[in-house]
Formats: sequence, structure tokens, C-alpha cells
Amino acid sequence: MGTQVKDVIIKPDAPSLLILDKHADYIAAYGSKKDDYEYTLSEFLRMSGIYWGLTVMDLMDQLPRMNRDEIIDFIKACQHECGGMSASIGHDPHLLYTLSAVQILCLYDSVDAIDVDKVVEYVKGLQQEDGSFAGDKWGEIDTRFSFCAVATLSLLGKMDKMNVDKAVEFVLSCMNFDGGFGCRPGSESHAGQIYCCTGFLSLTGQLHQVNADLLGWWLCERQLSSGGLNGRPEKLPDVCYSWWVLASLKIIGRIDWIDKAKLRRFILACQDEETGGFADRPGDMVDPFHTLFGIAGLSLLGDEQIKPVNPVLCMPEDVLQRAGVQPDILS
Amino acid sequence: MHGRLKIKSTAQQEEEKRKEREKKLKIYVAARDACFDKRKNGILDDEALQLTQQLLSSNPDFATLWNYRREILMHQETVKDEDEVQKLYEAELSFLESCLKANPKSYGCWHHRCWVSARLPRPNWARELSLCDLCLSVDDRNFHCWDYRRLVVKMSGVPVDQELEFTDRLIGSNFSNYSSWHYRSTLLPLLHPESPEAPSPCLKAPETSPPPSPQTQSHRVCEEQLLKEYELVQNAFFTDPNDQSAWFYYRWLLGRAERDEMISCVFISREDERVAVAFSRPVNAQTIGLLLVLDGQPQRVEWRSVHPRFKFCPVWICDLPHGTISDITNEHNLTVHWTEKPTHKDCALYTGRAESYCRDSATDQELFRSELSVEKTSVLQSELQTCNQLQEMEPLNKWCLLTIILLMRALDPLGYEKETLNHFKTLREVDSMRSAYYSDLCSKFMIENTIMKMEYAEVRVFSISDKNLTTLCHLDQLLLVTHINLSSNQLQRLPPQFAMLQCLEVLEANNNSIENLEGLYRLPKLEEVLLKNNKISTVADLKPLASCPKLKRLDLCGNPVTQITNIGSELAELLPSVTDLLL
Ligand SMILES: [Zn+2]
Repeated sequence: MGTQVKDVIIKPDAPSLLILDKHADYIAAYGSKKDDYEYTLSEFLRMSGIYWGLTVMDLMDQLPRMNRDEIIDFIKACQHECGGMSASIGHDPHLLYTLSAVQILCLYDSVDAIDVDKVVEYVKGLQQEDGSFAGDKWGEIDTRFSFCAVATLSLLGKMDKMNVDKAVEFVLSCMNFDGGFGCRPGSESHAGQIYCCTGFLSLTGQLHQVNADLLGWWLCERQLSSGGLNGRPEKLPDVCYSWWVLASLKIIGRIDWIDKAKLRRFILACQDEETGGFADRPGDMVDPFHTLFGIAGLSLLGDEQIKPVNPVLCMPEDVLQRAGVQPDILS
Repeated sequence: MHGRLKIKSTAQQEEEKRKEREKKLKIYVAARDACFDKRKNGILDDEALQLTQQLLSSNPDFATLWNYRREILMHQETVKDEDEVQKLYEAELSFLESCLKANPKSYGCWHHRCWVSARLPRPNWARELSLCDLCLSVDDRNFHCWDYRRLVVKMSGVPVDQELEFTDRLIGSNFSNYSSWHYRSTLLPLLHPESPEAPSPCLKAPETSPPPSPQTQSHRVCEEQLLKEYELVQNAFFTDPNDQSAWFYYRWLLGRAERDEMISCVFISREDERVAVAFSRPVNAQTIGLLLVLDGQPQRVEWRSVHPRFKFCPVWICDLPHGTISDITNEHNLTVHWTEKPTHKDCALYTGRAESYCRDSATDQELFRSELSVEKTSVLQSELQTCNQLQEMEPLNKWCLLTIILLMRALDPLGYEKETLNHFKTLREVDSMRSAYYSDLCSKFMIENTIMKMEYAEVRVFSISDKNLTTLCHLDQLLLVTHINLSSNQLQRLPPQFAMLQCLEVLEANNNSIENLEGLYRLPKLEEVLLKNNKISTVADLKPLASCPKLKRLDLCGNPVTQITNIGSELAELLPSVTDLLL
């Protein structure tokens, strides 16, 4: 008996053209429904939500439609005494939202709006003896946080403030039999984690440590007949995993190993023609998270209506050029 | 938001929903603000526990509320006796259990459970382990639960063999379980390490530095166990030949440990007064304590990688102080020490010789073959037979085809070359989405075969024309090559790694699709470059060639760049050393 392959079917009437205007309208309107129940429930990740929205707007060259002053004031209010940033006012600081805040400030070319030295102290203070990073003072360890730490510091031009060698040693100890990476040593490979770890190794100049042929094989096997990519074997395809897998392949110089035309068709089919925005899969509810990764994926696939995106930091290339950050890519 | 189907609803339904959400919002905001107020005022009481519990039950990713609960619990520890604390934390665990039932993938819940388990005065790890069993029986791929299981195992010292039996059970009931195969890959090297060290009996906590990953060489499995694993995997893929989990695991079993770190080649050129050193893996020669000793005298030299793009590179070069070896009547002895390892390599430059080298060849080291001892290769042979049987039944099964190719390579890469090429052709047809992957892998194998043939022939000519090459690799193995023929392939570029061919004199790469020559960078001996019928379109694309001082002959016929007006004079300016230009 064969295993039932998990996949979706793209209907013939699924969207096949990119409707950029609708996506920009969707994101522009999203932030204005602040009294919405669902919106309020997601307050615990607001800072990342703003990063997703602003980045996708910038990729579509629509950043001026967002309220810059209001956002920068909000970010200032989210910096804590310890230097770390929280998702929203009243919430606790965390590396995840510290990175998002710094990314937003880079989009606006205004990192000086916050106390940069204190951010650096905060990030540095979360590094553990084994080189790993805790997400906050409560000590959860995850390679995602290693990525957040180096991404934050490299955007601020302060990589020298942490122990890079130890940090690299820890991330490499999370490498698995399939060439992928997990959350901690011994954890199963997962596309989101692989994105964080290859991104981390790019920013620390250590990509030669990756077994690119082996990992590239695992990654290109994430593509299913629908054209979409999943995040682990035997899972459903998803727009956000499509980004993580695609960006990882780009970082390790193996992006040609998937069928780009089929992936493009899958991503386009995840658009909602009525409301604008992208969903995880065709026919599901849209959200800003999948809208960013849909647009960013199309950019990596070479769509010229969208600004070129950097695969490591998921930010527009022109923003990184201005910030003087040029992550490595394997050739 | 994941997996939420969009449902069409009427205007009336919408209005009802809106009202309901408005009501929910009011309740939620009131509870949230009450929590925040209490915390601001430093209140750490039972009511705060209840309030946060109510909110977290519906919104477990609200991380700040878990933080608040931890503050409350830590405070309660200071005012309650041990039994009361135990009770408090056990209540916390049952609250968490209900949260996890509703949201088995919430990072916040799992991390809080780790935190609570570590603070419990009298931990009950057996209960935690059975919780994991239960959770994995519902979803055997939940990686949060697998990670929690690994923590429990570590904290309570569960023996490795017991955990291996656990994966036996899971795999036995469902072969298609990638998580279990993954877990095996971490357990086997602990229980049956490749080196003859004593097996470690259990996973002990806490470790000071992270354990090596299964990718690194200390984490290979001993031969006996390897053979048993082959059998297990075979059962799996005979049961379900389309299940990728077992095939991924099998490829790992067939893999090789990383090579020892060593200096694989030293090359010295009298005329250029230059030394090139190749390593078994990319290094940063400026930081690894490399010492060059010439005729007993340590030399102060500056190491540079072959291309400015590489901070880590397998091939490094240095210039010797002017005049040290230029007199052809002198003999010289060179030693390169890798002091950190420590290891070294000697190379003698005899009187009358223009150059010299010393190297370990790829064939001597069987770089591209199986690592099994000779008597055990019969096992691989029977593995291959088994896979061939499966392939007869399932001729289009891509996993089986790829595995057959890998087995053939492990056994006799040259002998099976023709069959390998045929199988690759089938693979590209049956799995067209990944055809570029198969083409690149096939190119890699053909390059390995050509390296072996070149070494058996004891020549420094590397010829691999008309083989459908789509990519170049193993270029560090070609440090000594003087002539290379890559004509009539499908190459699009000569990558920066190409600059490792430090002895190259003649490059033939006609009839490809090359548009980028980045790798033709500072090749000191390069005289002839034949690039007929490629896709070089601008003068800027040819710029790297200006760094090759001896270039005399350049053939660009059939490239778009030849259509540019004044191309001849532009190239004369860019490449003044070229005397024989074909356009
Ligand atoms: Zn998703």
C-alpha cells in the first residue's frame, strides 16, 4: 500500500495573475481595524506584524502609505529599561520583537530613534555559555533566537559585540543526518529552522560548514505536485514554508533545484481576489504574515513587479545596501 | 493563521458574528487590563493566577502572561512549604495539560512545561514520559513533544537502548515516520559509535558543551550495526516504496564520514616564486597557524585565498621572498606545518626543476567510494541486488533509482558509469520538477569519475567534454591540472572556485552557455582560453581575464560580445597581453 501523499489541488479557476493593488490595499487597511477582536488577540506579536506589513509594502513600493511617525513612536514606547523590545506596550521584551523593531527602523532608515547601545547590551546578555541564545530572560533556547541575535547585531553593525565562534559552534551542533537543522541539538530538521540556521551561517560568514548538496536535496524534495513546498516530509504545502525553503535554497546556491514555474503558480493561487492578501493554502483565510512571504517568494522567483528581496533578512535589497549589510550567499 | 478555511456567509450572519466578536473583545480587554494592572502593582496572588489562566486557555501564545505566572509561582515558593509548592506546581502541570490538548503546537505551553518540570520539588519524570507517549500517539510528528521527550529522557537518565526500542516500536507500527528515523540517527551513534570507544549508557544531564551532531565524523555508526540498519530500512521501503522517510535515512547510512583535516597537496613554482597549498576542507589559512619552513628557515609569508570572495577556501597561495628559490641550480626543501592540528607536508624542489609538488591523490584515499571494509562490500552488493529487484517491480520509483545509483557509486563508480547515466536519464523524466538537481548530481559523479581516470593515467590533463555537465565541483582536486577540456557541456559559468586551478595553462570550454568568467582570476600560467559559442555578452564579463598575466590566445567566436562595435580595440585595451584574438 502506498502512502497517501499530502497535497492540495489547485482549481482551474484559482487566481493566476498577481493583483498587487489589492494586496497593498489589504495591508494598508489591516492596521486601521485596531478595535477588531482578532487583531487584539494577536497583540502579543504586534511588532512582528508591523514588520510583515511594512516589508511587504516596501517590496511593492508602497511604504509611504503607512504611518511612519505613529510607528516610530510605537517602537520607542516598546523599548524597555533592559534595552530589549516588546511586541506591544505592556508586554515583555523578547529577541523576536527586538529583531522586528530593528528591521522596521532599517526600513525607515531611523535606527537612532531607539537606544542602540542598550539593544546591543540586551542581545549580548542573552547569549549562554554554550553559545546559544535565550529568547528572553526566561531561558527558552532555540536556533531561531541565534538567528534573531546575529540578524539584529548585523543590522546595527555590532556583530563584534557577541561571541561569534561559540554561537557558530552551537548552531552547528544542531545539524542533523539530513543536513538540516532543528531548534536545539537533537531536534528534527524543519524548514523554518533551516532558514534561521543557514541565515545565521550566512551572517557569520560560515556557510562553508553546510553540506549544501545534501541539504539542497532535502529542501528540493519539499516541493509537491501542486508546486507548493512543505516544511517537513509528509506535510501539506504552505506559502510561508515555500518562502523558508526557497530562501534557504537561495542562500546555499541551489535555488534552481525546484520547479520555479510550478511554485509561482501555487503562490499565486493562494491570493484572495476579493480581499487581497495571501493565505497559507488556496481557499484559506488571508493574513499579513502569508502576504509578506507570498510576495517575498515571488520576488526571489524573479518577478520584476516586486523589488528584489534579500533571502537572509527578508528585507528589500536596497534597504540593506543603504544599511551596509551584505550577507554571504554560496555560489 | 494556518489551515483556516474561508467560509462564505450572508450579511445577516456577518452582523451576528460582528456583535458576538464585539462582546468577546470587551471581556478579553477587561481581563487583559486587569492582569496588566495587577502586575504593575506587584500583586502576585491566586486571583492573578486565575485571571491569566482564563486568558491563556484561549490565547496560549500570549507570552507575557506566562512570564507573569512564573513570577507569581516563584513568589509563592518563598511563602509556602514544600508540600504546598509541590501541589501548586502539579496544578500548573494539569492546567498545562489542558492547554496542550487544545494547542499541542504552542511554543509557550511547552516551554512553560519545561520550566515547571525543572522547578518541581519532587519531579515525576515517569509521568512526563508517558505524557509524551500519549501525545505522540495522537500526532507522531509533533516536534515540540519530541523535543520535550528528549529533555525528559536527559533529565531522568533514560538509557539510550530503551529509547532506541521506542523508535523500533514506532517504526514497526508505521514506517512512514520521519521523526522516528531522525531520532534513530541521533541515538545509534551514541549506542554503537564507529570508533572503538565504550558506548555511553545513557543521555546524562547536564552537558557543558553541545554534543557533536550526526553530521560530524565522531557521530558515525559502527559497521556491524550499519549492516543491521540496512535490513530494517529495506523492510521499510519494500513495505512502502514511496515513503521518503526510509530513503532519506538510508542515504545517511550510505554516507561517508568527513575526511580528516589535513594538508592534501603542496605545490611550489620556481618561476613564480609561489607556493600553493590544498586542504581537505575549506579553511581560513590566516587564522589556523600555518607555518612555512624553507630549507630549515621559517618564512614570513602572507597567505591569500585563490579568490577575494572566499574567506574560507580549500586552496591558499603565498609568494616567497624574492630571490629565495629563483636560482635553478639550487635544491630546496619546503615544509608546510599546520600547527593547530598538528600535521605537515614536505615538498622537495630539485636542481634543474621548474616546479614540484607533493600530494595525496583522491584514488589513494578512495575519496569517492564506500567506506566499508573490503569483506563487507559483499553486503552492499546484496543491497544493490535487492534494490534492483524492487526496481523491476517499480521501474519508475525515483527513490529506488537514486538509491541504486548511490550503491553503484559506493561499489564501483567507473564500472557502473553507463548504468548510472541511464538511471539519471530516467530520473529526470519521472521526477521532472527536480531535473536540475539530478543534472547537477550527475555532473558531480561524472567529474569524480574523470578525476579517478586522470589519476590512474597519471596525467595532468582533465578532459570531460560532451557529458551534459551543468555544474562544476571538486575543483580543489584539480590544483595541478595544466589542461582542462570542458567543451560541449551545459555550463553557465566558471565560478570563483575555478581560481583553484593554479597550474592551468590551457582552458577549452567551447560550446557551453557560459556568461560569467568570475573564476578566471589571477591564474598565473593561463595562456590559452577557448570559449567559442558561449553567451558572453559584455566586455565587463571578460574583465576577470585581465588578472591573468600570461594570457596570449583568446577565442570568443560565436559569443554575443563579438557583435559590439569596436570590440577589437576595447579588448586590446583590456587584455594587452593577448596576441591571438579570435572574434
Ligand atoms: Zn504558513
